[in-house]
Amino acid sequence: MIDWSDEQQMLREAVRQFIEKEIVPIHDDLEHGDLPPYDVLRKLFATFGMDVMAREGFKKRIEFEKAVAEAEANGTEPPAKAERSGGMDPSMTMIPIMELCRYSPGMVTAMGVSMGLTAAAISSRGTIAQKERWVPELLTLEKIGAWAITEPNSGSDAFGSMKATARRDGDEYVLNGSKTFITNGPYADTIVFICKLDEGNPPEERKILSFVLDQGMAGLEQSKPLRKMGMHSSPTGELFLSDVRVGRDRLIGETEDVPSGGRAGAKDTFSMERSGVAAMALGIIERCLELSVQYAKDRVQFGKPIGEFQLIQEKLAIMEVHRLNVQNLVFRYIELSQQGQGLTLAEASAMKLYSARAAMEVALEAVQLHGGNGYMAEFKVEQLARDAKVLQIYAGTDEIQITHIAKDLLRR
Amino acid sequence: MNIVVCVKQIPDPAEPGALDPNTKTLKRDTKLILDESDAYGVEMALQLADAAGGGEVTLVSMAPNNETAGLRTALAMGAAKAILVSDPSLQGSDALTTSKVLAGAIKRVEGADLILTATESSDGYTGTVPEQVAELLGLPSVTFAKSIAVEGSTVKVERQTEAGYDDVECPTPCVVSVTAGVVEPRYPSFKGIMAAKSKPVDELSAADVGVTAGGWAGAGQEIVAVEQAPAREAGEVVEDDGTGAEKIVAFLENLRVI
Ligand SMILES: Cc1cc2nc3c(=O)[nH]c(=O)nc-3n(C[C@H](O)[C@H](O)[C@H](O)COP(=O)(O)OP(=O)(O)OC[C@H]3O[C@@H](n4cnc5c(N)ncnc54)[C@H](O)[C@@H]3O)c2cc1C
Ligand SMILES: Cc1cc2nc3c(=O)[nH]c(=O)nc-3n(C[C@H](O)[C@H](O)[C@H](O)COP(=O)(O)OP(=O)(O)OC[C@H]3O[C@@H](n4cnc5c(N)ncnc54)[C@H](O)[C@@H]3O)c2cc1C
Repeated sequence: MIDWSDEQQMLREAVRQFIEKEIVPIHDDLEHGDLPPYDVLRKLFATFGMDVMAREGFKKRIEFEKAVAEAEANGTEPPAKAERSGGMDPSMTMIPIMELCRYSPGMVTAMGVSMGLTAAAISSRGTIAQKERWVPELLTLEKIGAWAITEPNSGSDAFGSMKATARRDGDEYVLNGSKTFITNGPYADTIVFICKLDEGNPPEERKILSFVLDQGMAGLEQSKPLRKMGMHSSPTGELFLSDVRVGRDRLIGETEDVPSGGRAGAKDTFSMERSGVAAMALGIIERCLELSVQYAKDRVQFGKPIGEFQLIQEKLAIMEVHRLNVQNLVFRYIELSQQGQGLTLAEASAMKLYSARAAMEVALEAVQLHGGNGYMAEFKVEQLARDAKVLQIYAGTDEIQITHIAKDLLRR
Repeated sequence: MNIVVCVKQIPDPAEPGALDPNTKTLKRDTKLILDESDAYGVEMALQLADAAGGGEVTLVSMAPNNETAGLRTALAMGAAKAILVSDPSLQGSDALTTSKVLAGAIKRVEGADLILTATESSDGYTGTVPEQVAELLGLPSVTFAKSIAVEGSTVKVERQTEAGYDDVECPTPCVVSVTAGVVEPRYPSFKGIMAAKSKPVDELSAADVGVTAGGWAGAGQEIVAVEQAPAREAGEVVEDDGTGAEKIVAFLENLRVI
């Protein structure tokens, strides 16, 4: 893949028109006024039939899983996986991500955590009944999801210092703990809560379990949105659980016997999340570059457009280099996925590390190129610069990506 | 109910257009897009087909260089198929030749109950094609439709007028030109976009639709010269001495805009 196809370009154009019509007019409310992004995201989904597609896709997958389960129960040959024409086409999610990020990367964070991370956590290890109960409405954004692992004292070392617990009590579990920095936390309808099974054994030996919670359960408190540097269109909050009682039906997989004690990161989730960050970075970079080129032509100082100064030209050149590199990473991911191949952990991490840094550098240079205007909200690049910063922090910090890349390289 | 929609593919109005100094016409060598005026016709057709509980929407277009980009957009919205007439011999065709080509193409669509066009295109805007097509097909035509309903073999149209609208009825098949803004053209769904690639586009030559003397040769008119529009004259400056509002009202009344 060396360029977007005609269909992909049509898709981009259509999404861009929608955004200009539906999101730009409320952009200030989203970025400066705590307007939650969910209604307009739902409208985006309905307009382009993404909700219908998600439902249909889910139905196919679940029917296949049921057929396999039935065959296993009867001891018959399980059905072959339905022949698909190639792999899936991730451009259908990458393109809306990129286009949204030209204005509001926060909306992508809110959307991605809900229909991506939260749904994937249930899809990858849940029982068929659990998937049917929670996943379709997450995929269509009818329900908003949150995925909660981070705690005040446990971030990069998510499992090591995790304090949240589940204790057995008859047929039920009692959950306790606090989670923080949780995307969609303030509004989520469906929450995946990750904690340790406390059997009185030492914390480092405890199993990691995930539970699905619904808004309004006794003992569950969802905080107001936290104030933060950027991503204002993505509400982030805290969750407090005190003696929340749940049945086994809410334990993902309905079993405590999870592979490698639940510590193995779901690889699919990693590459989904990390490639999503690359698409976000590309949207931010493209917009910053466009705004910067225009400004370099329009802004006159010392009697000429600032674009004629070599120091400004260098900034544009570096932005273009980053744009090309990140675009190539995105293209590569799309093409690999279409062929049904995945990324290695090192590749996914490298992609995320480079893209996040590139987005940050480009956005800061865009601010610099705009001078005082760059610092003003009206010119938009300051918001993108604040938003870009988090790409280096969430979904694994830069430093953690580096350790993952190195670990993978040194293991070979 | 089967509906034909004439859709013109035009240079993107967002891009700076240029005139060909030799032919004195708009250059059409870039990628062409669906004329926004025709998006209303496409939407109207899709809604009417839906309301009728079925039927196909077929697109008809004449455009240079086998251009299909604009057609794909309309196919992605939900039209079933398209006929494209593209032929170097048609370069320079006037509105009448264009109408002959479109009429020739429409004749090939079997069982068309209704033919929709826009009132005028965004680039050429002679606003003469719809009636010429109707005449060439020997069909009745209604212009300036702001709404269309089909009951049996009768088309009921609210026809926009300066003062309001006329209720007009007309038997099918007929040609109706639609005004801009009457319906909200849908966005193509992702599925629609992916499906558009494989929908049939029948590409025809001028001879296929029975037009032999097209292009410059067949044009009944000639562009003799193109001049820059005169620069705008300086406006009238009125100092507000407390009667500014009345003067604005008087000025607007004079223009008959209020
Ligand atoms: C806007 C936003 C949304 C978020 N959404 C969610 C969510 O939905 N769900 C959720 O569970 N979490 C969420 N998080 C939390 C996020 O995943 C964590 O902030 C992140 O993993 C880092 O953890 P920490 O903040 O505790 O930093 P720490 O782990 O305390 O890191 C502090 C610094 O130390 C560095 N560091 C840590 N370990 C190492 C090491 N081994 N080697 C070198 N350097 C190291 C880090 O890179 C960092 O620079 C979100 C965070 C933000 C900012
Ligand atoms: C010498 C000469 C020079 C010309 N120069 C130019 C020029 O520079 N630029 C220019 O735009 N035109 C030019 N024209 C006119 C042009 O070639 C045709 O007249 C034009 O294709 C149709 O006219 P219109 O766009 O004014 O149609 P209108 O009558 O305004 O169109 C009404 C509706 O008819 C339908 N329709 C019209 N054309 C098509 C089509 N090709 N395919 C499908 N549906 C259609 C659409 O629904 C459209 O909205 C020139 C004509 C001549 C003779």
